[in-house]
Amino acid sequence: MSWTIAVGVKQVPDDDEVGIDPDTGRLDRASAPAVMNPPDREALEAALTIRDQVGGEVIAVTMGPPNAKTVLEQAVAMGCDDAVLVTDRAFAGSDTWPTSLTLARTAEALEADVVVCGEETTDSSTGQVPPGIAAHNGWAQLTYVEGVDARPEEDRLAARRDVEGGHELVAAELPVVVAVAYGEFDPRPAGLHRKIYAENDFEPTQWTAEDLEIKEEVGLDVSPTSVGGMETVDPVDRKGEVVDETDDLAEVLTEVSA
Amino acid sequence: MTPELDGDAVADPNYDDEFDAIVVGAGLAGSAAALTMANRGLEVLLIERGSSPGAKNVFGGVCYTPTIRELTDFDGAPLERYVAERRFSMLSRNDETAVSISPGEWHEAPHNDSYTVLRGEFDEWFAEQAVEAGTTLVTSTTVTGLVRKNGRIVGVETDRPDGTIRAPYVVLAEGGNSLVSEGADLKATETRENVAVGVKEVLEFPGRDEVIEDRFRLTDDAGVSYHYFGEGAVGDAFGGGFIYTNDDTVSIGVAYRIEDAVAADQSPEATLNAFKSHPAVAPLVRDARTVEYSAKTIPEGGAESIPDLVHDGAAIVGDAAGLVLNNGVHLEGTNMAVESGYHAGNAIARAADQGRVGAKALQAYPDALERSFVVQNLERYAWMMDAVEADRDLLFEDLPRAFADAGTEYFRMDRTPKEAHAENAKRAVLDAVGGWTGAAKLALRYRKVVT
Repeated sequence: MSWTIAVGVKQVPDDDEVGIDPDTGRLDRASAPAVMNPPDREALEAALTIRDQVGGEVIAVTMGPPNAKTVLEQAVAMGCDDAVLVTDRAFAGSDTWPTSLTLARTAEALEADVVVCGEETTDSSTGQVPPGIAAHNGWAQLTYVEGVDARPEEDRLAARRDVEGGHELVAAELPVVVAVAYGEFDPRPAGLHRKIYAENDFEPTQWTAEDLEIKEEVGLDVSPTSVGGMETVDPVDRKGEVVDETDDLAEVLTEVSA
Repeated sequence: MTPELDGDAVADPNYDDEFDAIVVGAGLAGSAAALTMANRGLEVLLIERGSSPGAKNVFGGVCYTPTIRELTDFDGAPLERYVAERRFSMLSRNDETAVSISPGEWHEAPHNDSYTVLRGEFDEWFAEQAVEAGTTLVTSTTVTGLVRKNGRIVGVETDRPDGTIRAPYVVLAEGGNSLVSEGADLKATETRENVAVGVKEVLEFPGRDEVIEDRFRLTDDAGVSYHYFGEGAVGDAFGGGFIYTNDDTVSIGVAYRIEDAVAADQSPEATLNAFKSHPAVAPLVRDARTVEYSAKTIPEGGAESIPDLVHDGAAIVGDAAGLVLNNGVHLEGTNMAVESGYHAGNAIARAADQGRVGAKALQAYPDALERSFVVQNLERYAWMMDAVEADRDLLFEDLPRAFADAGTEYFRMDRTPKEAHAENAKRAVLDAVGGWTGAAKLALRYRKVVT
């Protein structure tokens, strides 16, 4: 028994370096170096943990421009067996709908038993893509996963989920999409020889929209999200008052809350 | 039709003996060695512990570039300013007496091969030159030890899983805090008398364009190197302070013997703050904001402290080999680092051609270094640290005060004739040095600094 585990990773602007243009209030993404979305590093750890439990292959997938292959190199350095760069000009402007469709088709093409993603990306924070992949393929999903327990004899993946007030243990039939809760998996360091290999000699497989037969179903035109506008909100002026006696303080507070 | 994986991913990559040489540390010495070997056709693995070359580096601020300029297409180098003025200043508690040198020639390329640089940028660029020549660079990886076989060094251990890698030659360019070389018994741990602690701040001046040009009297890419001595610079310690101008920041710091930091209980932070507050220094850094604070150890043992530079399968270069010159007037290390990396790289390339790995096969490196300015300069000033140590109270406290007093007397404005002022000024200095005999002895003792 061995599973094929796909991991979605994304290149995002380094949020330590992203500035905000003081004039427009918009994020200045261009000036920040591109790094792997931090939750995805934990998704990789979760995927590699499942492989440790059940055996099989972990294949990293990213959808992005050609230079996004750096995050795939990091994934292979960490221990992924292979990686796919899904890249095509046709993807430009895709929102979470066509993005999750693309990743769903990629997971199908890989005959994935498990797809692991981070819970969200730091540059758009929708958290919609992992459930979107499950929805497009009609697969099970496990979200906000804190721990994984592969049960190959049952063809199921059990997971500990973070829920309000505690956690729950859920088992899902394969194939399943897992969204990993951020902060629950400690990414393993890359091995030296793997790191040298990934950065210097490894080349990811490249697939286009045409390869996945979704050329007409991706891009800006078929993306239902539209940005209505952006506004910089000025801080509200707050009334300030200094009182000398604590007894007077209670009086002032009462007035405000009344 | 379903697309397929290319399927050529290697399941279990192994680079043992795939490289001819491993270089530990992508500073100036390491990258010079890597570049030299790559240029001569060797496969080189350059291992750096920082997230990028230079990320972990600390130095004062001036890079001396005669060899780098030969080794690279230097036009693309990220330089801050060339050194157009050198100023040497004696500080007592409240006085300053200074000498400034600013030859016209320094304004012309190649500017006496003296440039302020920011190592985060410069080292990354220099390592990139080695990579373009064919070197493989791996970052965020710390070498923790050496691998031996029958006594010979055949590889390194790193902090990564599956972290051992073998190659016929290892170049140790790990810097002044050379834990790998010491751990492998390739060099003795330096005594604290021979190690200085350096602390530095990089300052910016928010919202004040041209403030550096105005304060330091600069135009275009010209910059300054200011060195300070005396108790106003580093208190009771043995060392000095410095200010270097970058493009739009200023580097300011102090360096003094760790022995004094311990014995005089003088913390680097407090020492630097006192230096920054000295009346002659404070106006230069007024309204500045600290954007970087860093500290390092500096080997100052001189020629006597240079360890055996070659071993079976390994060579030591740069700060790790103690190749730093500090004689008060000259403060050099970057040029010596590059020179040592260059000679070590050449020696290894020659040994590799002959298929030899023993220390004898690498002897060309210490031989070349011996003939070069690196060892010649260190030996020339070997006497000096001891002499300065013996005279430290005189040189760092009494003399700065005496010069300040002499200046005060000589230019005194009152109704006494100038003859009396000159006599007072002379006496201030002579009293400090022990009369004419003392002055003559002092001049004799230190004549080799300038002649």
